Amino acid sequence: MNENKIVDLATEQALVLDCGKSLKSFKTAYTTYGKLNDAKDNAILICHALTGDQYVASNHPITKKEGWWSYIVGPEKPIDTNKFFVVCPNVIGGCMGSTGPKEINSETGKVYGTDFPVITIADMVRAQKLLIDYLGIEKIFCVTGGSMGGMLVLEWLSKFPEMVHSAIPIATATNHSAQNIALNELARQSIMADPNWNSGNYYNSDNKPLKGLSVARMAAHISYLSKDALHSKFGRNLQDKSSLDYSFDADFQIESYLRHQGFTFVDRFDANSYLYITRAMDYFDVSSSNDGSLIESFKNTVSKVLCISFTSDWLYPTSENKKIVKVFNTLGINVSFIEIETDGGHDSFLLEEPKLFEAMQGFIKSTYENL
Amino acid sequence: MSLINEKKDFKIIADLIPAKSSVIDVGCNDGSLLEFLKEEKDINGRGMEIDQQKVQLCLSKGISVIEGDADLDLYDYPDNLFDYSILTYTLQATKSPKNVLSELVRISSKAIISFPNFGHWKIATSLLINRKMPISEKLSYSWHETPNLHFCTINDFIDLCEEAGIRIEKQANLKTNRLNKFYGKNLLNSYFNEVGLFLVSKIKN
Repeated sequence: MNENKIVDLATEQALVLDCGKSLKSFKTAYTTYGKLNDAKDNAILICHALTGDQYVASNHPITKKEGWWSYIVGPEKPIDTNKFFVVCPNVIGGCMGSTGPKEINSETGKVYGTDFPVITIADMVRAQKLLIDYLGIEKIFCVTGGSMGGMLVLEWLSKFPEMVHSAIPIATATNHSAQNIALNELARQSIMADPNWNSGNYYNSDNKPLKGLSVARMAAHISYLSKDALHSKFGRNLQDKSSLDYSFDADFQIESYLRHQGFTFVDRFDANSYLYITRAMDYFDVSSSNDGSLIESFKNTVSKVLCISFTSDWLYPTSENKKIVKVFNTLGINVSFIEIETDGGHDSFLLEEPKLFEAMQGFIKSTYENL
Repeated sequence: MSLINEKKDFKIIADLIPAKSSVIDVGCNDGSLLEFLKEEKDINGRGMEIDQQKVQLCLSKGISVIEGDADLDLYDYPDNLFDYSILTYTLQATKSPKNVLSELVRISSKAIISFPNFGHWKIATSLLINRKMPISEKLSYSWHETPNLHFCTINDFIDLCEEAGIRIEKQANLKTNRLNKFYGKNLLNSYFNEVGLFLVSKIKN
């Protein structure tokens, strides 16, 4: 029921991308949980974040860890798989089976590498829309996701408003701030500075740009946590030693922790995918197709929306999320908003946060009852 | 909530609101007034609530609610978005009652405001005799722990409306459950009503 599936989409018509190029055929890897009912009104689409994937509630094939949102998705959970038909696709540009830089270009028979076209959040959503069509769903009961997933949610609300009954964008923004772009550029530069990156041509080599990707992950990981959480978890504690080494080894626990985050990440993620997806996030501005007007961008939105932010999230802070709420209010859209107090930082949407659980469960349950 | 005789107040508020109106309840608590108005008048309702536990309750009831503060977050709404705004037993707890009132009549065509009347004879007599801050059913906190920052009397409220360019259209008499035409400021009004409940709107220039 929840095994990974891969489907070829755009077989009849090429997927035209924002950059002007098109994908004549492309694959989407996705998981599903639960059953689509006869009325086809119980589908929930989950959009993953930058380094997420389709393994939202099942064990990851590489890390063997449980799904990244197992806390929220499952039987009796807010996204109740006994009740709902849950779909979670890997975005295009990703590296877990959907068409991306590490896959074969069907036109040339070679791995794409950096020949893969630069994609956008809107392109990802266009691809997801084809999957939803393929699954025979005319109206999605709820589209949800955090961080980049939240951007996809906003894009859905803007571009396919009639297909979305309700939505929960979490810890996200209508566009990337200069600070967001700066952090992503730091990550990209560290990948490209690794000699093994070799302009993106490393798939046939034994030496992959693991160091660069690892540093990119370390930098990003800092931005997912709050200062208070780092302090209370690690402080200035030393790692397995009682005094400073006067060396550049990992003296501090935080160093060791970050190195571990970097090392383990490279086993499951592709460096080129990281470049492409961060680029898509930086390019994201949901209002770009409407001359920068958010009002124009959401004027056809009729969905019921719940926006959620976290107090200690400095990457996509409450102020950015409230901007969305303000636009929706102005348009008279049925919007709710809750700011959850936590020191968990941006990562809070992935943590076991009871208030997130409660808010999502309350909203989803009552919205489905009033369908 | 012990502060108000809920159902009675709800009924009077419902009587003030035409069917299918769009309504924002500022300080909407657990959403029960919005639910009541939905049932009675089929309103299109929104809530704003500062207490997160209550926001969660509203979400679980399917009420659209913004976690927010009347002093800070009304500015986010455009002019005349709603037909009615409601502020029950909250005005006295705001930092700036005048700004909040002005915002309410900006974002909605009409506003319904209720507050405990500090000029009621029981309160006034209690203060006069005991020389201690009064505690009653409707003013149930000790002075040092009360969330109420700005107590006022009905006459004070009438003055504030005048100052803020706000017209009082109707006043409710909660004892008789009647909606009256507003007769203006007088001693009896402030003396005998435990609660002030008014329908107000902005005076157009």
